[in-house]
Amino acid sequence: MTNEFDVEIIERDDRSALFVVRGLTPAFANGIRRAMVADVPTFSIDTVRFVENSSVMFDEMIGLRLGLVPLTTPLDDFEVGETVTLALDVEGPATAYSGDIETSVPEVVPADENIPIIELKENQRLEFEADAVLESGKVHAKQQGGVAVGYRHLQRIEVVGDAPEFDEQEPNILRGVIETEDGELVVTDEFDNDLTQRYPGKEVEVVDVPDTFVFDVETDGSFTVDELVLRAIESIDARAAELEEKVSV
Amino acid sequence: MMIPVRCFTCGTVVGEHWEEFKARAKEGDEDPAEVLDELGVNRHCCRRMMVSHTDLVDVVSPYQ
Repeated sequence: MTNEFDVEIIERDDRSALFVVRGLTPAFANGIRRAMVADVPTFSIDTVRFVENSSVMFDEMIGLRLGLVPLTTPLDDFEVGETVTLALDVEGPATAYSGDIETSVPEVVPADENIPIIELKENQRLEFEADAVLESGKVHAKQQGGVAVGYRHLQRIEVVGDAPEFDEQEPNILRGVIETEDGELVVTDEFDNDLTQRYPGKEVEVVDVPDTFVFDVETDGSFTVDELVLRAIESIDARAAELEEKVSV
Repeated sequence: MMIPVRCFTCGTVVGEHWEEFKARAKEGDEDPAEVLDELGVNRHCCRRMMVSHTDLVDVVSPYQ
Protein backbone atom coordinates (compact mmCIF):
# COMPACT_ATOMS: atom_id res chain seq x y z
CA MET A 1 0.00 0.00 0.00
CA THR A 2 1.60 3.20 -1.14
CA ASN A 3 -1.41 5.46 -1.49
CA GLU A 4 -1.46 8.77 0.32
CA PHE A 5 -3.83 9.43 3.16
CA ASP A 6 -5.56 12.74 3.43
CA VAL A 7 -6.62 13.72 6.95
CA GLU A 8 -8.96 16.59 7.68
CA ILE A 9 -9.70 17.49 11.28
CA ILE A 10 -13.23 18.72 11.89
CA GLU A 11 -13.35 19.03 15.67
CA ARG A 12 -10.47 18.68 18.04
CA ASP A 13 -10.39 18.80 21.80
CA ASP A 14 -8.11 17.42 24.46
CA ARG A 15 -10.28 14.39 24.99
CA SER A 16 -12.35 14.06 21.84
CA ALA A 17 -11.89 14.56 18.12
CA LEU A 18 -13.75 14.18 14.85
CA PHE A 19 -11.73 13.79 11.66
CA VAL A 20 -12.08 12.59 8.07
CA VAL A 21 -9.51 10.29 6.48
CA ARG A 22 -9.44 9.68 2.72
CA GLY A 23 -7.70 6.81 0.99
CA LEU A 24 -8.38 4.09 3.56
CA THR A 25 -9.74 0.64 2.93
CA PRO A 26 -12.50 -0.48 5.33
CA ALA A 27 -10.11 -3.08 6.73
CA PHE A 28 -7.44 -0.51 7.48
CA ALA A 29 -9.97 1.85 9.06
CA ASN A 30 -11.02 -0.96 11.37
CA GLY A 31 -7.37 -1.74 12.04
CA ILE A 32 -6.83 1.81 13.26
CA ARG A 33 -9.92 1.61 15.47
CA ARG A 34 -8.81 -1.65 17.00
CA ALA A 35 -5.29 -0.35 17.57
CA MET A 36 -6.73 2.66 19.40
CA VAL A 37 -8.84 0.47 21.65
CA ALA A 38 -6.53 -2.46 22.28
CA ASP A 39 -2.92 -1.52 21.53
CA VAL A 40 -2.28 1.79 23.25
CA PRO A 41 -1.37 1.03 26.88
CA THR A 42 -2.53 3.05 29.87
CA PHE A 43 -1.90 2.95 33.59
CA SER A 44 -4.58 1.35 35.71
CA ILE A 45 -4.67 0.11 39.29
CA ASP A 46 -4.20 -3.66 39.26
CA THR A 47 -3.24 -4.74 42.77
CA VAL A 48 -4.56 -3.28 46.02
CA ARG A 49 -3.24 -3.99 49.52
CA PHE A 50 -5.82 -2.91 52.05
CA VAL A 51 -4.53 -1.70 55.40
CA GLU A 52 -7.97 -0.87 56.71
CA ASN A 53 -11.38 -0.95 55.11
CA SER A 54 -14.27 -0.44 57.47
CA SER A 55 -16.51 1.09 54.79
CA VAL A 56 -19.83 -0.39 53.66
CA MET A 57 -18.21 -1.93 50.57
CA PHE A 58 -16.11 -5.06 50.38
CA ASP A 59 -12.43 -4.84 49.42
CA GLU A 60 -13.17 -6.35 46.01
CA MET A 61 -15.85 -3.78 45.18
CA ILE A 62 -13.50 -0.93 46.02
CA GLY A 63 -10.75 -2.65 44.03
CA LEU A 64 -13.05 -2.73 40.99
CA ARG A 65 -13.87 0.95 41.32
CA LEU A 66 -10.19 1.85 41.68
CA GLY A 67 -9.27 -0.06 38.54
CA LEU A 68 -11.69 2.05 36.52
CA VAL A 69 -10.24 5.39 37.62
CA PRO A 70 -8.25 6.75 34.65
CA LEU A 71 -4.63 7.67 35.41
CA THR A 72 -2.57 10.07 33.33
CA THR A 73 -0.03 8.12 31.33
CA PRO A 74 3.20 9.65 30.00
CA LEU A 75 3.96 6.95 27.43
CA ASP A 76 7.47 8.21 26.69
CA ASP A 77 8.71 7.55 30.22
CA PHE A 78 7.36 4.07 30.88
CA GLU A 79 7.51 0.60 29.34
CA VAL A 80 4.62 -1.84 29.26
CA GLY A 81 4.60 -3.84 32.50
CA GLU A 82 6.09 -1.12 34.70
CA THR A 83 4.27 -0.27 37.90
CA VAL A 84 3.63 2.87 39.93
CA THR A 85 2.64 2.83 43.60
CA LEU A 86 -0.38 4.77 44.84
CA ALA A 87 -1.87 5.23 48.27
CA LEU A 88 -4.98 6.61 49.90
CA ASP A 89 -5.93 7.27 53.50
CA VAL A 90 -9.30 8.83 54.30
CA GLU A 91 -11.14 8.76 57.60
CA GLY A 92 -14.90 9.28 57.92
CA PRO A 93 -17.14 11.13 58.00
CA ALA A 94 -15.95 12.08 54.51
CA THR A 95 -16.06 10.87 50.93
CA ALA A 96 -12.91 9.39 49.45
CA TYR A 97 -12.39 10.88 45.99
CA SER A 98 -10.04 9.81 43.24
CA GLY A 99 -8.29 13.15 43.82
CA ASP A 100 -7.29 11.97 47.32
CA ILE A 101 -5.10 9.24 45.84
CA GLU A 102 -1.42 10.03 46.24
CA THR A 103 1.13 8.66 43.80
CA SER A 104 4.85 8.00 43.90
CA VAL A 105 5.35 9.54 40.45
CA PRO A 106 4.02 13.08 39.90
CA GLU A 107 3.28 12.42 36.20
CA VAL A 108 0.90 9.57 36.99
CA VAL A 109 -2.12 11.01 38.77
CA PRO A 110 -5.89 10.42 38.51
CA ALA A 111 -7.11 12.16 35.34
CA ASP A 112 -10.37 13.12 37.03
CA GLU A 113 -10.32 14.25 40.63
CA ASN A 114 -14.02 14.21 41.46
CA ILE A 115 -14.83 10.53 41.13
CA PRO A 116 -16.33 9.35 44.43
CA ILE A 117 -14.69 6.07 45.50
CA ILE A 118 -16.70 5.48 48.66
CA GLU A 119 -18.66 7.54 51.13
CA LEU A 120 -17.37 7.00 54.67
CA LYS A 121 -19.48 7.45 57.80
CA GLU A 122 -18.40 8.11 61.39
CA ASN A 123 -15.65 5.70 62.55
CA GLN A 124 -15.15 4.27 59.07
CA ARG A 125 -11.76 4.40 57.44
CA LEU A 126 -10.21 3.44 54.14
CA GLU A 127 -6.48 3.02 53.82
CA PHE A 128 -4.70 1.12 51.11
CA GLU A 129 -1.62 0.94 48.97
CA ALA A 130 -2.04 0.04 45.30
CA ASP A 131 0.06 -0.77 42.25
CA ALA A 132 -0.92 0.67 38.88
CA VAL A 133 0.46 -1.25 35.92
CA LEU A 134 1.01 -0.08 32.34
CA GLU A 135 -0.75 -2.57 30.08
CA SER A 136 -2.65 -2.56 26.79
CA GLY A 137 -6.41 -2.92 26.33
CA LYS A 138 -5.93 -6.52 25.21
CA VAL A 139 -5.23 -7.49 28.81
CA HIS A 140 -8.21 -5.82 30.46
CA ALA A 141 -10.86 -3.30 29.41
CA LYS A 142 -9.80 -0.97 32.22
CA GLN A 143 -6.47 -0.48 30.40
CA GLN A 144 -8.13 0.90 27.27
CA GLY A 145 -7.19 4.49 26.55
CA GLY A 146 -9.74 4.96 23.77
CA VAL A 147 -13.37 5.18 24.77
CA ALA A 148 -16.25 5.09 22.27
CA VAL A 149 -13.91 4.96 19.28
CA GLY A 150 -15.84 4.58 16.05
CA TYR A 151 -15.85 5.33 12.34
CA ARG A 152 -18.36 5.47 9.53
CA HIS A 153 -18.34 6.12 5.81
CA LEU A 154 -18.39 9.75 4.81
CA GLN A 155 -21.76 10.38 3.20
CA ARG A 156 -22.26 12.63 0.22
CA ILE A 157 -25.54 14.44 -0.31
CA GLU A 158 -26.81 14.95 -3.84
CA VAL A 159 -29.88 17.01 -4.59
CA VAL A 160 -31.85 15.08 -7.21
CA GLY A 161 -34.95 17.24 -7.49
CA ASP A 162 -37.80 18.90 -5.63
CA ALA A 163 -39.92 17.07 -3.10
CA PRO A 164 -43.59 16.69 -4.06
CA GLU A 165 -45.21 20.00 -3.17
CA PHE A 166 -47.96 18.95 -0.78
CA ASP A 167 -46.24 15.96 0.81
CA GLU A 168 -45.17 16.28 4.39
CA GLN A 169 -41.42 15.69 4.50
CA GLU A 170 -40.25 12.96 6.81
CA PRO A 171 -37.10 13.59 8.83
CA ASN A 172 -33.96 12.21 7.23
CA ILE A 173 -31.51 11.68 10.06
CA LEU A 174 -27.75 11.49 9.54
CA ARG A 175 -25.00 11.65 12.11
CA GLY A 176 -21.38 12.71 12.09
CA VAL A 177 -20.14 14.60 9.06
CA ILE A 178 -21.57 14.92 5.55
CA GLU A 179 -20.12 16.14 2.29
CA THR A 180 -22.17 18.52 0.18
CA GLU A 181 -22.14 18.63 -3.61
CA ASP A 182 -19.43 21.33 -3.56
CA GLY A 183 -17.19 19.06 -1.49
CA GLU A 184 -17.75 21.02 1.70
CA LEU A 185 -17.66 19.05 4.96
CA VAL A 186 -20.53 19.86 7.31
CA VAL A 187 -21.04 18.58 10.86
CA THR A 188 -24.58 17.25 11.16
CA ASP A 189 -25.12 19.07 14.46
CA GLU A 190 -25.33 22.29 12.44
CA PHE A 191 -28.71 21.27 11.03
CA ASP A 192 -29.94 19.21 13.98
CA ASN A 193 -28.91 15.94 12.25
CA ASP A 194 -31.92 16.26 9.95
CA LEU A 195 -31.32 16.64 6.21
CA THR A 196 -34.75 18.15 5.62
CA GLN A 197 -33.60 21.12 7.74
CA ARG A 198 -30.68 21.78 5.42
CA TYR A 199 -32.43 21.01 2.15
CA PRO A 200 -36.06 21.98 2.76
CA GLY A 201 -38.36 21.04 -0.10
CA LYS A 202 -35.67 19.09 -1.95
CA GLU A 203 -35.37 15.43 -2.71
CA VAL A 204 -31.88 14.26 -1.82
CA GLU A 205 -29.88 11.12 -2.28
CA VAL A 206 -27.30 9.93 0.23
CA VAL A 207 -24.32 7.97 -1.09
CA ASP A 208 -21.27 6.63 0.71
CA VAL A 209 -17.99 8.14 -0.45
CA PRO A 210 -15.70 5.19 -1.21
CA ASP A 211 -12.54 4.77 0.90
CA THR A 212 -13.35 7.78 3.06
CA PHE A 213 -14.10 7.49 6.75
CA VAL A 214 -15.19 9.78 9.54
CA PHE A 215 -13.55 8.87 12.83
CA ASP A 216 -15.05 9.80 16.16
CA VAL A 217 -12.48 9.33 18.91
CA GLU A 218 -12.63 9.94 22.65
CA THR A 219 -10.11 9.17 25.37
CA ASP A 220 -10.68 8.52 29.07
CA GLY A 221 -8.23 11.29 29.99
CA SER A 222 -5.09 9.15 30.22
CA PHE A 223 -3.61 11.14 27.34
CA THR A 224 -4.76 13.49 24.57
CA VAL A 225 -6.58 12.27 21.48
CA ASP A 226 -3.55 13.23 19.36
CA GLU A 227 -1.37 10.94 21.40
CA LEU A 228 -3.88 8.09 21.20
CA VAL A 229 -4.24 8.25 17.41
CA LEU A 230 -0.51 8.63 16.76
CA ARG A 231 0.40 5.79 19.12
CA ALA A 232 -2.20 3.56 17.48
CA ILE A 233 -0.73 4.24 14.03
CA GLU A 234 2.76 3.66 15.44
CA SER A 235 1.70 0.26 16.77
CA ILE A 236 0.31 -0.76 13.37
CA ASP A 237 3.54 0.41 11.80
CA ALA A 238 5.64 -1.59 14.26
CA ARG A 239 3.62 -4.75 13.68
CA ALA A 240 3.80 -4.37 9.90
CA ALA A 241 7.58 -3.94 10.12
CA GLU A 242 7.83 -7.02 12.33
CA LEU A 243 5.77 -9.06 9.88
CA GLU A 244 7.92 -7.93 6.97
CA GLU A 245 11.06 -8.91 8.80
CA LYS A 246 9.74 -12.33 9.82
CA VAL A 247 8.45 -13.13 6.34
CA SER A 248 11.64 -12.12 4.56
CA VAL A 249 13.78 -14.59 6.54
CA MET B 1 -24.65 1.87 46.23
CA MET B 2 -22.13 4.45 44.93
CA ILE B 3 -22.36 5.91 41.41
CA PRO B 4 -20.46 3.60 39.01
CA VAL B 5 -17.12 5.08 37.98
CA ARG B 6 -17.73 4.48 34.28
CA CYS B 7 -20.68 4.03 31.96
CA PHE B 8 -21.43 0.30 31.64
CA THR B 9 -21.91 0.52 27.89
CA CYS B 10 -19.31 2.89 26.48
CA GLY B 11 -16.76 3.28 29.28
CA THR B 12 -16.86 7.05 29.61
CA VAL B 13 -16.09 8.27 33.12
CA VAL B 14 -19.45 9.40 34.55
CA GLY B 15 -18.65 9.28 38.28
CA GLU B 16 -16.98 12.68 38.30
CA HIS B 17 -20.21 14.43 37.29
CA TRP B 18 -22.44 12.74 39.86
CA GLU B 19 -22.17 15.19 42.74
CA GLU B 20 -22.90 18.20 40.58
CA PHE B 21 -25.78 16.39 38.90
CA LYS B 22 -27.17 15.32 42.28
CA ALA B 23 -26.95 18.81 43.72
CA ARG B 24 -28.49 20.53 40.71
CA ALA B 25 -31.03 18.06 39.34
CA LYS B 26 -31.89 15.48 41.98
CA GLU B 27 -31.93 17.79 45.00
CA GLY B 28 -32.14 21.08 43.14
CA ASP B 29 -34.95 21.99 40.79
CA GLU B 30 -33.09 22.22 37.48
CA ASP B 31 -34.11 20.17 34.46
CA PRO B 32 -31.99 16.96 34.50
CA ALA B 33 -31.69 16.97 30.69
CA GLU B 34 -30.22 20.46 30.67
CA VAL B 35 -27.80 19.67 33.50
CA LEU B 36 -26.56 16.56 31.68
CA ASP B 37 -26.11 18.56 28.46
CA GLU B 38 -24.04 21.13 30.34
CA LEU B 39 -21.93 18.45 31.99
CA GLY B 40 -21.14 16.94 28.58
CA VAL B 41 -22.90 13.65 29.27
CA ASN B 42 -24.31 13.34 25.78
CA ARG B 43 -24.93 9.70 24.93
CA HIS B 44 -28.08 8.08 26.24
CA CYS B 45 -26.06 5.17 27.68
CA CYS B 46 -24.18 7.58 29.98
CA ARG B 47 -27.28 9.61 30.77
CA ARG B 48 -29.15 6.60 32.07
CA MET B 49 -26.27 5.88 34.46
CA MET B 50 -26.89 9.23 36.13
CA VAL B 51 -30.68 9.40 35.88
CA SER B 52 -31.33 5.91 37.22
CA HIS B 53 -28.80 5.93 40.05
CA THR B 54 -29.67 5.98 43.77
CA ASP B 55 -27.13 6.34 46.57
CA LEU B 56 -27.60 3.53 49.07
CA VAL B 57 -24.69 4.09 51.45
CA ASP B 58 -26.99 5.75 54.00
CA VAL B 59 -29.37 2.80 53.80
CA VAL B 60 -26.80 0.06 54.39
CA SER B 61 -24.44 1.84 56.80
CA PRO B 62 -26.37 0.95 60.02
CA TYR B 63 -25.90 -2.77 59.32
CA GLN B 64 -22.10 -2.87 59.28
